[in-house]
Amino acid sequence: MNNEEVLVAVGRKSVKVVVAGGFGTGKTTLVGSVSEIPPLTTEEVLTQASVGVDDLDGIEHKTTTTVALDFGRITINADIVLYIFGTPGQDRFWFMWDELAQGAIGAIVLVDTRRLDTSFPAIDYFERRQIPFVAAVNMFFGERLYSEDEIRAALKLSPAAPLVWFDARDRGSSKQALISLVQHAISQMPVSTRSSV
Amino acid sequence: MIRDTWYGDDEQEAGRFVPLYVLVNGRTRPQNASLDLATQVIAMPGDTRALEPEYEAILSRCWTWMSIAEIGAYLNYPLALTKLLVDVLLEQRLLSVGSPAEEPSVDRATLETILVRLESL
Repeated sequence: MNNEEVLVAVGRKSVKVVVAGGFGTGKTTLVGSVSEIPPLTTEEVLTQASVGVDDLDGIEHKTTTTVALDFGRITINADIVLYIFGTPGQDRFWFMWDELAQGAIGAIVLVDTRRLDTSFPAIDYFERRQIPFVAAVNMFFGERLYSEDEIRAALKLSPAAPLVWFDARDRGSSKQALISLVQHAISQMPVSTRSSV
Repeated sequence: MIRDTWYGDDEQEAGRFVPLYVLVNGRTRPQNASLDLATQVIAMPGDTRALEPEYEAILSRCWTWMSIAEIGAYLNYPLALTKLLVDVLLEQRLLSVGSPAEEPSVDRATLETILVRLESL
C-alpha cells in the first residue's frame, strides 16, 4: 500500500523541544514543571549491538539495554501540541538524540555550575548541528556562584547562545527558560522569511 | 490443523508467547518513514474485529490525538515497536496521522503562536 492512502490530517502538528544536560542536572524536574500532564516515560529497548560495542566477541551473550526518555506536553492550541523531551542521561545513546533533535524548535541545555563539564557534550552536539539552544543554569540551591562571563568562558559558549538562570522546580521559572528558547529560535530565523501559505 | 506442541521457554523469557516481530509481520522499519516519536495519530472508524489486542489497545488510547511517545508510555511498549504497530494501523486506515514533526521545520508563525501561548501559561 502506498503512502497516498494513509489518512493525513495536515493541520495537526507536533513541535518538539529537547531538554539536555548531564545526569542529575534537573531535566526531568524541568519537564515536570512545565508539562500539563505528569511526565511520562517511554522506553527504547536496544540490543547491545546497536549501542556500538567495539567487538563482536561474546555476541551469543547479547544483552538488551533500556533507554528511558522522559517527556511532557503543552497544548498550544486546537492543532498544535508542544512536546518536551528530556535526553537520555547516558552520553552513549547519541542516536536517540538524533531523532529527538530532528526538526525540534531547539534545546535547553541544563548547566550545573558544580559540574560544568557535564554540559559540554550537549552544547557541542547542538552547536555542530546549528540547532538553536539556550544554556540554562539550574539554581539548585538558589546559588549564583559565578558570573555570566565566567560561565560563558568555562562553557566556551558562543555569544549568540543565550545563557539564563532558572530553577527547574519552579513552573514560572522553567516557563521563562522555555520562552527564552522560543525567542532565540525566532531570532535565528532568516529575516525575510515569508509565510509558506 | 495440527499444531506442534511448544516445549520452549520463550514465554517465560520474553514475557509473551507471540514474538513481537510476528505481530508486525516481520516488519523492521515503518513504511511511513516520517513517523517520529512526536507524531500524533487518532483512531478512525473501521472494522477492528481481526486485530490483535496490542493493536486494539492503541486504537482505544487514540480516541483523541496521541503521539507515538505517549502511546508507548501509556501502553508500556518500546518505541520502535509502537512505531511499527502505528504504521500497520495507518496502512489499514484505522488511524489518521498529523503532520510529521520533523518537516517542514517549524515556521515563524508557529513559533510566534507558541510564544504567545507560553507567555499566557
